[in-house]
Amino acid sequence: MKISKVIEIDSIIKTYKNEGFETNVLKGISISIGEGDYVSVIGPSGSGKSTLMTILGCLSQATSGTYLLDGEEVGKLRDSELSRIRNEKIGFVFQAFHLLPGVSAFDNVMMPLIYCNKTPADAKERVKQVLIRVGLEHRMAHTPGQLSGGEQQRVTIARSLINNPKIILADEPTGNLDSKNGAEIMSAFDHLNAEGRTIIIITHNPIVSEHARRILTLRDGQIVSDEINENFKESRAGIARAAVK
Amino acid sequence: MRILKNLGQALRGLQLNKANTFLMTLGIMIGIASLTVIVAIGEGTKSKVLNRIANMGFGPESFSVYSGAGRLFFGRNRNTTSMTLQDVDDIRAMPGVAIVVPRQRKRMRIINKKEFTTTRVYGVSPEWQPARQWEVVDGEFFNDTDMDRKRKVIVLGNTPAHKIFGEMDPLGKKIRVGQVFFEVIGLLETKGLTESGYDPDDRALIPLTTSMSRLFRQTHLHSIKVVSTNSEAVGQTMEGVTQVLRRNHGLSPLADDDFRFVTPEGIMQWVTESEQALNRMLLLISTVSLLVGGVVIMNILLVSIRERIREIGVRRCFGARRGDITQQFLFESVLVSLLGGAMGSSLGWVLSSSLNHFDLLPAKITWDPFVLAFGFSMIVGLIFGIHPARKAARLSPDETIR
Ligand SMILES: Nc1ncnc2c1ncn2[C@@H]1O[C@H](COP(=O)(O)OP(=O)(O)OP(=O)(O)O)[C@@H](O)[C@H]1O
Ligand SMILES: [Mg+2]
Repeated sequence: MKISKVIEIDSIIKTYKNEGFETNVLKGISISIGEGDYVSVIGPSGSGKSTLMTILGCLSQATSGTYLLDGEEVGKLRDSELSRIRNEKIGFVFQAFHLLPGVSAFDNVMMPLIYCNKTPADAKERVKQVLIRVGLEHRMAHTPGQLSGGEQQRVTIARSLINNPKIILADEPTGNLDSKNGAEIMSAFDHLNAEGRTIIIITHNPIVSEHARRILTLRDGQIVSDEINENFKESRAGIARAAVK
Repeated sequence: MRILKNLGQALRGLQLNKANTFLMTLGIMIGIASLTVIVAIGEGTKSKVLNRIANMGFGPESFSVYSGAGRLFFGRNRNTTSMTLQDVDDIRAMPGVAIVVPRQRKRMRIINKKEFTTTRVYGVSPEWQPARQWEVVDGEFFNDTDMDRKRKVIVLGNTPAHKIFGEMDPLGKKIRVGQVFFEVIGLLETKGLTESGYDPDDRALIPLTTSMSRLFRQTHLHSIKVVSTNSEAVGQTMEGVTQVLRRNHGLSPLADDDFRFVTPEGIMQWVTESEQALNRMLLLISTVSLLVGGVVIMNILLVSIRERIREIGVRRCFGARRGDITQQFLFESVLVSLLGGAMGSSLGWVLSSSLNHFDLLPAKITWDPFVLAFGFSMIVGLIFGIHPARKAARLSPDETIR
């Protein structure tokens, strides 16, 4: 079975230079991730997980190494092209939600569409649809301050989906949630993966990483293990897939 | 259009940060308001002076010479007593001089029974009327006999006549000026208020001889009006007058003149000069206040950007380019500056109108300051917005969302 690769990174090194001294955060990382894969990245605090995510998410450039995203070589792109890629291909979900304060759930979800080269004609309908998908059709006019943590995180998932990206990148998406809300969010990711979206979740939490099909472990800027999750609940994914169909 | 969407985001940003928005408008508002008021006062003063000229009855062939050093209407020494009828006689004897009118002047109370008012009382010779070309609509002007006999007769302008007689006919009536009774023998044609509120009809005229011996009880003159035979000769005549007066007043060659000329050109020149001075002051005040306003905007915007660093990061994550962020914040600063400009214009308009309405200062509202306000606010917004906006745009997306 040939799986086409959406992400291929090779010997990625990331070094931060601050006032003369250098911090080597990523020390040569190579991974390839196939389309529709469900990956979690675990590792101790400070191991470079978030840094890896900023590189995968085209938020920063690697110091060296190559990165092919959907066939495009990211290292050669200018800032405006990186912005376009983020807009079209990647949806971000953050631990701290990062919703625009004072702005309704509807407009928060609409935000990425502002930065499309061409705003789709059915933008409003699309926003409504993704909000319905995350079960927030009754909260569209609420601002983040008027939403619970779980609801806010569902808004961010809706926001990450609005441009129909190939890849969802989530950094500790359940970190600010209780276990019940966390489980709901994870089930949302399961569904998204079931419909073929590539999902990469960074986490400390073993319950979260257990949702993924593949678990990468990072330690001190290097990948120390890359395993297929034996406990991957095909059955759950199956249920999700069935639900999608 | 992407730029319009960024404009929309800027508007929303301003709405969401109302306190900051308000603070940012303040500086510009004050700057523009002061600019509007200064322009209005400048225009008002100018039109007042121009109206004054138009109502002085100056032709190109006439001028006045006032007692006391100084310039135009601004005498430096009100106690100068050197100008006398001798000067008048000597000027009259000069070639090229057609009419010479000696004048005395005082603000006095005039009374008709219980009605009274204060007006400018002039003691003049009968030539005043042909020199000034001001018609008498009722009765007649005083003549040489009235002059010779120092008769207590008075010609009223419409304003005092109306104030103390109402609808009654004043002709032949006795009125009291100070302690002296006068008979009203004529009424001047009404000129009407000028645009700027100067009232040329607010005056009364009596024979000079009467004013000298019976009313003001002084022999020195307030001013002399001179009409030349033709307008080309005016310059020469003025030189001649200068010589005559300096000689008569016994001024040494080093001493300054103790008199001053008032001519239409002189007034015009003064208007131009004061307008230029005003414009320089205007430029200074508005530049300083707009700079201050701009710096205020810049600083608040810099603080605001620090507060909104997450917002910027999230926008960048979801596809905003550096250019989008620059545009959004530049729009914020321009919009806020324009808002300040609009508020300042309105405030300035209200202030100017009330200055005028309560007679504090002449102010004339024109379009110029509003156009200026728009242009200036726009430019200030752009200049002081560009630094914060670019700073916001340069933030790296990965660090802004940490
Ligand atoms: N801009 C920077 N300059 C210097 N060092 C940095 C910078 N950003 C991150 N680091 C360092 O890189 C290392 C990895 O950081 P990173 O945020 O990727 O860790 P992490 O694995 O996500 O940790 P956590 O689980 O606590 O979120 C840390 O030691 C951090 O101090
Ligand atoms: Mg992290």
